[in-house]
Amino acid sequence: MHIIPYYSLLAALLLSLLAAAACVHQAWEGRSKVLPWVENAQIVVCTLVTISSFFLLWAFYVKDFSLLYVSRYSDLTLPLFYRLTAFWAGQAGSMLFWAWLVVICGTIMLFTRRYRLLSGQTRIFFWIFFLGIQAFFMYLLTGHQNPFMEISPAPLDGQGLNPLLQHPGMIIHPPTLFIGYAGFTIPACLALACWITGEKHSWIQIAHNWTLTAWIFLAAGIIIGGWWAYLELGWGGYWAWDPVENASLIPWLSSTAFLHTAIVGQGRKALGKTNVLLMVLTLVLCFMATYLVRSGVIDSLHAFGDGGVGNPLMLFMMFSMAVTALVLFFGPARDDRPLSGLTSRQGLLVVTAWIFLTLGLVVLMGTFWPVISKLWTQNPMGLDAGFYNRVCLPLFVVIGALLVICPWMQWKGGVRHGKWLAVLAGIWLALGVVLWVNGIRMPLALVGASAGLAMVVSIVMLFILDPSLRKRRTAWGAYGVHLGVALMFLGVAISGPYKVEAEAVLAPGEYMTIEDYTITYVGMETWSTPAMTVFASRLEVSRDGKIIGELAPQRRSYRTWDRPHAKIDTRFSLGVELYATLLGFTEDEIISLKMSTQPLVNWIWIGCVILCLVGFVALRTSKGKDRETNPGADAATATS
Amino acid sequence: MQKKKNSRTVYIVALALFLVGFGTLLMAGLKQNSIYFLNVSEALAMPAEDIQQIRLFGTVAEDGLVFDPQHMGVRFMLADNDDASQRIPVQYRGVVPDLFEPGAEVILEGGYLIQEGVFNAKTLMTKCPSKYEAENRSG
Repeated sequence: MHIIPYYSLLAALLLSLLAAAACVHQAWEGRSKVLPWVENAQIVVCTLVTISSFFLLWAFYVKDFSLLYVSRYSDLTLPLFYRLTAFWAGQAGSMLFWAWLVVICGTIMLFTRRYRLLSGQTRIFFWIFFLGIQAFFMYLLTGHQNPFMEISPAPLDGQGLNPLLQHPGMIIHPPTLFIGYAGFTIPACLALACWITGEKHSWIQIAHNWTLTAWIFLAAGIIIGGWWAYLELGWGGYWAWDPVENASLIPWLSSTAFLHTAIVGQGRKALGKTNVLLMVLTLVLCFMATYLVRSGVIDSLHAFGDGGVGNPLMLFMMFSMAVTALVLFFGPARDDRPLSGLTSRQGLLVVTAWIFLTLGLVVLMGTFWPVISKLWTQNPMGLDAGFYNRVCLPLFVVIGALLVICPWMQWKGGVRHGKWLAVLAGIWLALGVVLWVNGIRMPLALVGASAGLAMVVSIVMLFILDPSLRKRRTAWGAYGVHLGVALMFLGVAISGPYKVEAEAVLAPGEYMTIEDYTITYVGMETWSTPAMTVFASRLEVSRDGKIIGELAPQRRSYRTWDRPHAKIDTRFSLGVELYATLLGFTEDEIISLKMSTQPLVNWIWIGCVILCLVGFVALRTSKGKDRETNPGADAATATS
Repeated sequence: MQKKKNSRTVYIVALALFLVGFGTLLMAGLKQNSIYFLNVSEALAMPAEDIQQIRLFGTVAEDGLVFDPQHMGVRFMLADNDDASQRIPVQYRGVVPDLFEPGAEVILEGGYLIQEGVFNAKTLMTKCPSKYEAENRSG
């Protein structure tokens, strides 16, 4: 019975290899006759992988514990929604999911109008790269990472899903990341193919929607992960610079750098090699992220065990970079126009990209430091969170400052609306003073938060001053994304350094204070469901003698897990959010409680939602024909 | 042509300045924030005064586990992940994470108190339990 999904994957592997070989042969001959056949092969591969994926979903649906994967990540009492999403709870399943997305992306690509603009030769090269990557996935899935292993005899019940993963955040987080990872496959293959054949259409334009969509999903995935950590792990933070978090951040940083150099590249045919390199690098870094998380090369808080994907992934990454280097440095030469001066908008975009790349490099280096330091010490040295905060935060603050100023620069130098820019500078300074008076005195937090607020002001001012901006959808998209970024800046700059924590042991009727809040412990309540027993504490929150709300942090004992889990509770606020974790309780209802205040933390999530939703506004529709962008117009909008 | 040369020089100078500033920052970070990442056997092999600030990786031993009655801390024996006979006594005050249990792999940050003969952990993190991991091939 489980033969079907496995052999579909095997057939998909063979077909991908066969089609890729056909493409290589045609490229060699300089013809593109096999294209229709290759395109059909892609559709067949898509069907095969879809069959396998549905099969796994079905196995979860009917609780088929004879599949090792199903028995390991679900049990009889797991609700249907979590049973189906357990598809990507483990390694093999997430690999299948990612591969499935890649295959779907390739098939969608077939039917896009922009694909048909490409010359036959470019398409052939595109499929060589794309089918190669696809074959690599199929190779992993039929070998190291087979999700269709059986156990016999089949257990009566599964091992259950880790309670930490039973949270909406954890359900959305992996797929969003994987959509991001998978989405970059198309632009990267296009970049290489167009570079080789000297395609007359700009690959940046052709891939624009793919790149942007992948970038939005990757950003969303990372931040949802932070949100999940905040709500589920109970330590009161959202980002710990843990290797697993860093892993997904690195490709995001390189793709953000690309988005900025792409603006320069598409308008002016400058930075040709840089753009190809950054795009392929982003894709390779996506694989590297998986390598980091899955290979056990670096111990981390939640790295999976070594499933044997490490070596093939490493080889694949090296091979990809080698191919890219060959294409770029030994391939055909393409002329590049020189850049304008550094003080133009174009110059600042390049600087922004540098900083993002530097950040990526720092995070990469920091994450791998235990491995790197082995070169000269016997015992590995690592870097703690303080390192990233010390090195990365100043760079982020510089980016924030650039973001306030950059949109006021002319494309080739000089400023627009100089008078108003002076007004903006005044407002920025005033905002800084207001924050200072309100006790925000750490230099980085002060500059970061005031830059965040000044960005909002700056964007609003520009839209008022520049009627032409209001008419262009891409401008709404680009500036909207930056509005989201501005709010995130504000949230991160304040919530990180100005969090206050307090712990106390309380008997019913006792109270504790934190900042100007009083938390009174009323009592405990207990109830049971088939899957768990819940112990909930009731807390009354008051301020200046007035009761303003209740908190009910819980501990839950799940049927399939030995130790109880904390379920935190928060009192939502756009100002200072209260955060409560029930650390433990005794039989006579004495609780140990951890409280913290999280100033402006919710602006991070709000900013993220704006960034993601508005980002889609910047997608290009197929109205009219693809025009070569006029650098003055479109580039002016895309100050990202 | 002249203009092209000029703008290129400006870019190179700017990049150099940026790299110098950033390099200083990076060096300071590497100097002050780098700590040893050790497993138990490596830590035991080092002189006690050298492990004042390290990140320690190990497994919680089955015996010798004492929870603070108020659940605000724990004392336990940390065993090496590969060689369970190598052990270090640990004391920790603070929030004990949900996944902390005998047999759990944990990551500690802190230092060794020579007088008390115990590792004082400032932070305690748990790795995901084996149920959530692929079977480790080597073990």
